[in-house]
Amino acid sequence: MAASSDSTSATTVLYVVVVVVAVLVATVLAPVVFNATAGSGDSDESSVAVITLRGGTSDANVAAISEDLREARNNDSIEAVVMRIDSPGGGVTSSEEFYLAMNRTAAEMPVVTYVEGYAASGGYFGIVPSDRIYVKPSSLVGSIGVIATLPSTLEAQNAQVRNALRTGPDKQLQTIDGVREQLELLQNAFVGTVMTHRGDELELSREEVSNAATYRGTEAVENGFADDIGTLESAIAHAAEEAEGIEGDEYDVYYKDPPSTGIGIILTDADVESTNGSVVYVDRNEEDTGPEFVPPVRYYAVYGIPKSFVDGEVITNETG
Amino acid sequence: MKPAEIAKPLGVFVVVILVILAGTAVLGAVSGGSGTSDGANVRGQSPAQFQPGQVNPDVDPEEGEITVDSPEGEKKILVDNRHGNLYDRDDLEPVVEALVEAGHEVNFAPDVDSGDGFGSTGGYNATLQEYDAVLVINPTEGFTEAQRNGLQTYTENDGRVAVLGEPTQVGVSGSGLLASLSTISFGANDLTSQYGAHMGAEALFNVDDSANDNSFKGVNAVPDGTDSLTEGVDTVTFDNPGYIVTTGSDDAEVLYTAADGTKTLDSRREGTYITAVRTDNMVFVADSDFVDQSEVYDADNEVFVSNMLNFLVSGDKPDDVPETTGENSSDGGF
Repeated sequence: MAASSDSTSATTVLYVVVVVVAVLVATVLAPVVFNATAGSGDSDESSVAVITLRGGTSDANVAAISEDLREARNNDSIEAVVMRIDSPGGGVTSSEEFYLAMNRTAAEMPVVTYVEGYAASGGYFGIVPSDRIYVKPSSLVGSIGVIATLPSTLEAQNAQVRNALRTGPDKQLQTIDGVREQLELLQNAFVGTVMTHRGDELELSREEVSNAATYRGTEAVENGFADDIGTLESAIAHAAEEAEGIEGDEYDVYYKDPPSTGIGIILTDADVESTNGSVVYVDRNEEDTGPEFVPPVRYYAVYGIPKSFVDGEVITNETG
Repeated sequence: MKPAEIAKPLGVFVVVILVILAGTAVLGAVSGGSGTSDGANVRGQSPAQFQPGQVNPDVDPEEGEITVDSPEGEKKILVDNRHGNLYDRDDLEPVVEALVEAGHEVNFAPDVDSGDGFGSTGGYNATLQEYDAVLVINPTEGFTEAQRNGLQTYTENDGRVAVLGEPTQVGVSGSGLLASLSTISFGANDLTSQYGAHMGAEALFNVDDSANDNSFKGVNAVPDGTDSLTEGVDTVTFDNPGYIVTTGSDDAEVLYTAADGTKTLDSRREGTYITAVRTDNMVFVADSDFVDQSEVYDADNEVFVSNMLNFLVSGDKPDDVPETTGENSSDGGF
């Protein structure tokens, strides 16, 4: 009886040890299995991701589009991206972000753009790294220029600044010459980017591009701002054709929901926070700069009638 | 130990591992996970066209100084206020300072700011007699025939005149829905035409960064030929230039032409555009901002302004020119 009890206890201990060791071994192997299965998407079939931007290149919109592009780059089943765009541009800084996100994506996989409506100014800034740009006759591209909005009371503002206690003569001071230099700097980066990516296709000189004219789709195909007349399906088909991981028609099309934010540049009250791997993205809203201070001059890569026309501001126009 | 005694625990061992890993796999597939860690793939983007050398504009340092000669005796310079002249007196302070420093006198007539009515009761020619030179900035109203005749006589007798003007443009006053538009035109074409020069119909622009001053409307100009007014100047920059059309038999000497590639703003015609001329003792410049405090030290503007001021103070007009007989009622006066 005692021998039987001892035997049972030993067996129990053995199984406990076995289970514990098994759990430990499984714990070590689990991340490998998880990574092997995660990120492969809902389907094993290669796919073309259609990402849509309808609205301005505002901070919020560009943040959302950049997140979509990052997801496309990191999803092994996505072999190419189609950017469907209808954007008149927006802030210069966010438009540059749009470009950088598209540029990085285009370095890793085919990126093809379909201009649904506008791809003007900052909108074109973003799509310029595309391998191919499709337009329809009513599409509008171009407007490669930067504008600055500054207070109509610039002199009064400067007078107030001069009376403030400051550490240096240039602190907070805005001069027309200074704004023009900033405009030229921003314009150099913008035009330089367009010439870098489209210089071989463009029939226009750098100076002609700097005139900041807009072109309808058919004009754009002729002067090199766009490559071909087509539809969204044309863009998807071309993207699939160019993708290394796609054979023939064996691919899915994955439509990413467009950003829900509108053309505005205002972020939501709450900070937007997301995580991706070990990288944490936090988009602070403008209130973090303090409600008492606003940028004295704003720079836009935008096409359209500036809202500032009805807000009592004046426009300093660099190129268009 | 019997094989069966090993097989059972081994089986449990394998089953436990498989169950856990299978669960993990299902969890991973369902959650989608975060894919490949982005952190491992982050590559800084530094496009070539974003490098400082490609982007930073060449900023022309605002340096130099306005120098005015002190020829024999003090000269008196009249700044015209009679003809709807659009300029800020504050912006002229560097010019006035340089003239005064060299011992000359500068008066604004009529002196709206001080309200002393200088010249307001006297005739135009009577006022001109008192001065050695006249500076007319951005006139929007015309000169009467008597005034034009007086100035003609004035310059024919070594009185000096400089006319700085701007092309027709649309001005905006107010803002938003209350904004109103008004067209502002150069008003002294009748006067300058007497000297063989006429303000052109449009403003100019140039988008080539090497041919403008940080703005497509700030066009550079270069000397054409040699003259005391172009001496020492490589490039001047005009903030809002028009162009000058030379006319008729009076030979206006071209002083400056806009940089290559300059076009008219509305009709986009590229050409060689004259921006400053001299006809004997009259100088006509198709821009009025280059004397302003904010522009006068850009490029070689201070050299051109110095040359122009020296031109103004180097005349030797007799005191009784132009004659004033019977002129009070007909010449418009000051």
